[in-house]
Amino acid sequence: MASHNAGSRAKRVGAIVPARFRKDHLLPYAMVSPAVAVTIAIAVIPLIYEVWLSLQDWYMLKRPQPIFGGLINYIAVSKDGALWAALGRTAIWTVGTVVVEIALALPLALLLNRNTAVARAGSALILIPWVTPFIVLGFGWRFLLDSDVGPIHQILELIGLAGGRSVLTDPAGALAAITFISGWKGAPFMVIALIAALKSIPDELYEAAEVDGAGAWAQFWHVTVPSIWNTVVIVGLILGILAFYSFDLAWIMTKGGPQDGTAIVGIQIYRAVFLDLRPAYAAAISVVMLLILFAASLAVLRLRRSN
Amino acid sequence: MRSRGATRDLILDAVTIVAVLLMLVPIIWVFLGSIKPEHDIMSGNPWPTRVTFDHYIAIWNKEGFLTALRNSLIVGLVVAVVTTFVAAPAAYSLSRFDYRGRNLFSLMILGTQTLPAVAILVPLVVIVRQLGLTNTLTALIFIHLALGLPIAVWMLKGYIDAIPRDLEEAAMVDGTGRFGALVRVVLPLIRPALVAVGTFAFVLSWGEFVIALAIVSKAEVRTLPLALQSLFDPYQFSWGQVMAGGVVIALPAVILFFIFRKQLVGGLLAGGVKG
Repeated sequence: MASHNAGSRAKRVGAIVPARFRKDHLLPYAMVSPAVAVTIAIAVIPLIYEVWLSLQDWYMLKRPQPIFGGLINYIAVSKDGALWAALGRTAIWTVGTVVVEIALALPLALLLNRNTAVARAGSALILIPWVTPFIVLGFGWRFLLDSDVGPIHQILELIGLAGGRSVLTDPAGALAAITFISGWKGAPFMVIALIAALKSIPDELYEAAEVDGAGAWAQFWHVTVPSIWNTVVIVGLILGILAFYSFDLAWIMTKGGPQDGTAIVGIQIYRAVFLDLRPAYAAAISVVMLLILFAASLAVLRLRRSN
Repeated sequence: MRSRGATRDLILDAVTIVAVLLMLVPIIWVFLGSIKPEHDIMSGNPWPTRVTFDHYIAIWNKEGFLTALRNSLIVGLVVAVVTTFVAAPAAYSLSRFDYRGRNLFSLMILGTQTLPAVAILVPLVVIVRQLGLTNTLTALIFIHLALGLPIAVWMLKGYIDAIPRDLEEAAMVDGTGRFGALVRVVLPLIRPALVAVGTFAFVLSWGEFVIALAIVSKAEVRTLPLALQSLFDPYQFSWGQVMAGGVVIALPAVILFFIFRKQLVGGLLAGGVKG
């Protein structure tokens, strides 16, 4: 079947969409369908089901089968003081995580964006916290902050940031500590994104700034910062979305405590399902979170510079 | 001038070493804790007086640890293989064909990358329960597929986009059909990327915590992260053992990631920044 019209086929080589690729209509669908099926099963259906669930009246202790409840869960959300407190903590946590990520990543990226053996090795090693699973980091940090055997606890005690007990036993201290750890874990991703952005700045920009008499600081402020700004915004948004939905660190390190000090919304959703046995209410919290996330993302995207 | 540049580089290298070491303190601490004798841990000795593997032997003999290791391996390997086999044809389809629905499909698949597990945890748990799949590795495997699939499709599509169509066309002219061209031209060229995305899917599944926590409660179905949590028995736990467990979990993830770092970092940046 193949070679008798080889000549005409050869003429089509290089066309944007060669005829051969258009011929059978079912093949592209057949090839993409397993991935689409997985996506529908694990993302699309759960999202739709989440909205449906959030409209049910389903409190497993009282009502084992869900019945339609309209906006009953959303009304409960609006009156749930503990949940709004958790949303407040989540806002602090999310912004704090991204701020720590940028604060750690920017100097590191500037140091690592040099062509020396140390900088190359450093750019690789810096990724380790980012690849290491939360469960390992969570316990590692609990060890570091332990009041009996933790060296970082001893340093914090020495400089007066912690008393005789670990910061993790204080509600505000625990939130601050775990927010920092969350930022530390995410910083490497920001570092590699920033290195990529720094590498793409043309040398001519710096040369021109130098000709204009700009010093190192002025060059950083007028050439480097504007050039990496959009990367900071986009990667900050991605890392911010991940932080907004955090659960692992706060659960592994303090289970949301002490006294709800680290009870961020991810923890409240988990508690609503597994401790209070109110899946429909948990679904309503999730939908509210999605709406907040959507609005916040649109606001953050406006921070981008247009070129 | 040159020597001044060299001195500057040396100073900055020294600063870099200190900065990177500071970032890695917790990682180093976990590792040292796992090979330190108990009395070094209790006295707060940062550096071990001698190296011991007692903690590793202890967790190895702990009930449930090997079961968890086996479960994590099963889930991770199945997820890696299935992710690769599902992602590769999808990437080829999105890269090479122009058809109705293509943009929608690609938006759907890539969109799930920005959807964190906690956002859909509730419906997933309820669905898994209603299907009677709580406490099964099947449910875990199925949900873990969503972890690496979007980035796998995105990365492989990038690789296939970079292969000139002429190469495939030439193979087709030579008498192999499109499928033959796919197998003989495209697959060999993207083989390193296939291994890289499979590995990445394994690493993501290996360390995953919240979904496992939500659908597994029985000891015999536990994965490693859950088993590590249970090592933390408040009445008689040993920091050394927990750190040894941590190293067992972290080491494969770190090593596998580093083998394929070049492919993965490039792909993740492209997926994260442009997508």
